[in-house]
Amino acid sequence: METLAVVLLACCVTGWFVLAGTDIGSGMLLPWLGRGDAERRLVLASFAPFFLGNEVWLVATAGVLVGCFPALEGELLSGQAPVLVALLAGWIVRDAGLWSRGRGPGPRWRAACDAAVTVGSWAVALSWGLLLAALLTGRPYEPAAGPVAVVAAPAVAALFAAHGLGFASLRLTGAPYQRARRLVGRAGRPWHPLALTAVLLGGLPLWAGTALPLAERAASAGTLALLVLALAVVTPLLVAVQAWVWYAFRGRVTGPSYL
Amino acid sequence: MWGGGPPAHADGVHQDVLDLARLQFGLTAAGHFLFVALTLGLGTIVAVLQTRATLTRRPEDDRQVRFWGQLYVINYAVGIVTGLVMEFQFGMAWSGLTHEAGNILGASLAVETLVAFFVESTFLGLWIFGWHRLGRWAHLATIWVVVLTAYLSAYWILVSNGFLNHPVGYGSEDGTLVLTDPAAVLTNPAALLPLVHILAGALLTAGFLMAGISAYHLFRRTAEADFFRRGLRTGVYVAAPALLAAAVSGGLQFAALASFQPMKSAVFGGRAAEVARVQAELTSRFGPGDYIPSEGWTQGGGLVMLISFGLMMYLCFAGVILAAFRKVVLRFRLWHLVLMASVPLPYLAMTGGWVFREAGRQPWVVYGLLRTEDAVSDLSPGTMRLSLTVFATLFLLLAVLNGWLMARHARRGPDDPGLGRDERAAGDSPPVPATPLSRY
Repeated sequence: METLAVVLLACCVTGWFVLAGTDIGSGMLLPWLGRGDAERRLVLASFAPFFLGNEVWLVATAGVLVGCFPALEGELLSGQAPVLVALLAGWIVRDAGLWSRGRGPGPRWRAACDAAVTVGSWAVALSWGLLLAALLTGRPYEPAAGPVAVVAAPAVAALFAAHGLGFASLRLTGAPYQRARRLVGRAGRPWHPLALTAVLLGGLPLWAGTALPLAERAASAGTLALLVLALAVVTPLLVAVQAWVWYAFRGRVTGPSYL
Repeated sequence: MWGGGPPAHADGVHQDVLDLARLQFGLTAAGHFLFVALTLGLGTIVAVLQTRATLTRRPEDDRQVRFWGQLYVINYAVGIVTGLVMEFQFGMAWSGLTHEAGNILGASLAVETLVAFFVESTFLGLWIFGWHRLGRWAHLATIWVVVLTAYLSAYWILVSNGFLNHPVGYGSEDGTLVLTDPAAVLTNPAALLPLVHILAGALLTAGFLMAGISAYHLFRRTAEADFFRRGLRTGVYVAAPALLAAAVSGGLQFAALASFQPMKSAVFGGRAAEVARVQAELTSRFGPGDYIPSEGWTQGGGLVMLISFGLMMYLCFAGVILAAFRKVVLRFRLWHLVLMASVPLPYLAMTGGWVFREAGRQPWVVYGLLRTEDAVSDLSPGTMRLSLTVFATLFLLLAVLNGWLMARHARRGPDDPGLGRDERAAGDSPPVPATPLSRY
């Protein structure tokens, strides 16, 4: 049961990095991919139908953590509280920008929302760099500091940006597409860059997770038996529903969406 | 640990962190719930409206779905982002809670995120972005999935909260709580009664908002008289039965309180002799300590709830009669003003009721098992202050943003809201040169 709980946690966190990494990365590059209001709206439309379904993977990660490893969750989250404040603040600012962009008045309002999306996306990516640095240096219960943090945060952020770029080159059309394509380059098949960053980005949290004493700190057997069973039953359904969403909106975007 | 003895750490630094952490939880939970309440209620109404529009295929029914649906989505988005803070806050600021009671509390939170919220969010995306892409019936199905999983979400959150207020189905093993009777936890009366109460309160909130916004347009005599005549009637006729259900489920909870949490009951009633008796009884059970919650918050919360309820009762009673007359709905401008002014009442009632429920059970975070002061994380006051400042500021901005965007949309009326606009035909899409292959 402990093993299955660890697998569920790994699934959720990898799911978030690979899927949400696309919209975090695209959001980080928003000012460069789209010049002007209409182009930026197109960039947002490239991930609009997915970002809501993407971000729930991180909520699910927190859920599995608190359900299957409750005591560890408390120590980990309270230890990393300052970094998590930054992560959550970035997340909130970014989502508020995305949701509000099309609802307010005028080009200035939309430019401000675009800025919120970009700043928020960078904050999320950099915060994850700090979290991963703390885990990888074997000190999961205190925020990373010193040279490791200075190196890791921008490196992880760059990886997110590269992932977003690969995604953009597959989803966009028109001038934003040309910009993404120039940066990605033309080596290999069009989907190769995204696949490469997906493997790197998905593997990173798994590697970092080995620093946590997950198996020893799992919830009590009675809880775990019920909870892991329930989660293991619904997870394939969740994956199927999300796969359907990706299939339904698979084409390149040529026009704006609700956002 | 729980069950007696003075608090483990009683120094000033700890007290600071405790107070700040409580303030943060109170502000963020109350803030989050304002959005959730409307989301739950308005979502239900939108799903019903869309069911009708799908059946009749009339454009005017479709307009109702898009106008009220747009308000729903604006509000929903803020509900989601405020909920993120709630999800992480337990571990960040209240690690003692997950440490001691995580085997039960953590499980219900985990099921909520995966079984309910995950599905809800995914389908909300499908509903918003799937307009004109999915078939009519598939699109209708997505909103119903969103609404039903939102109810499921509310249930699992109340299972968690019910356990905090009235722990059942647990045992103790090596100093932590373990789950012994899942069925008892899932059918906890302290979870089921509030579920009915909250769903009724949510419909009440949505009903008052619909009636208030409709009244604004009728008062201003905008061109959409027919549209908002329907909106006003829907709002009033949803609010009245919802108020009744909220009152009944609330009354039943009051009745249960005498046995679940006699101290809250005694403090609210201001019965000094009873307070002293329960204090003595709890002291003999749990050791010396102050078991009396803040009188101001407990009585204040309860009173705000009851006064708002009283006002809403008069409004609903009058509304049910007035709304039956077409001319009254269109022309009775004083009533329109009253309806606009009463939009905040359900919010006041719910916040008051929640303060009564949660402040009144102090000093416990898990009633009779874990004190609030023993559950707070070992954070530095600086970290806690930073966290409180950041989240309080963001929540305030979000509340202002939400209010402004909703008011803006409400004022503009049902002419072509962004939600459900057919963007394929939109003139503002840029011409797209150099389209690459559409397949990867």
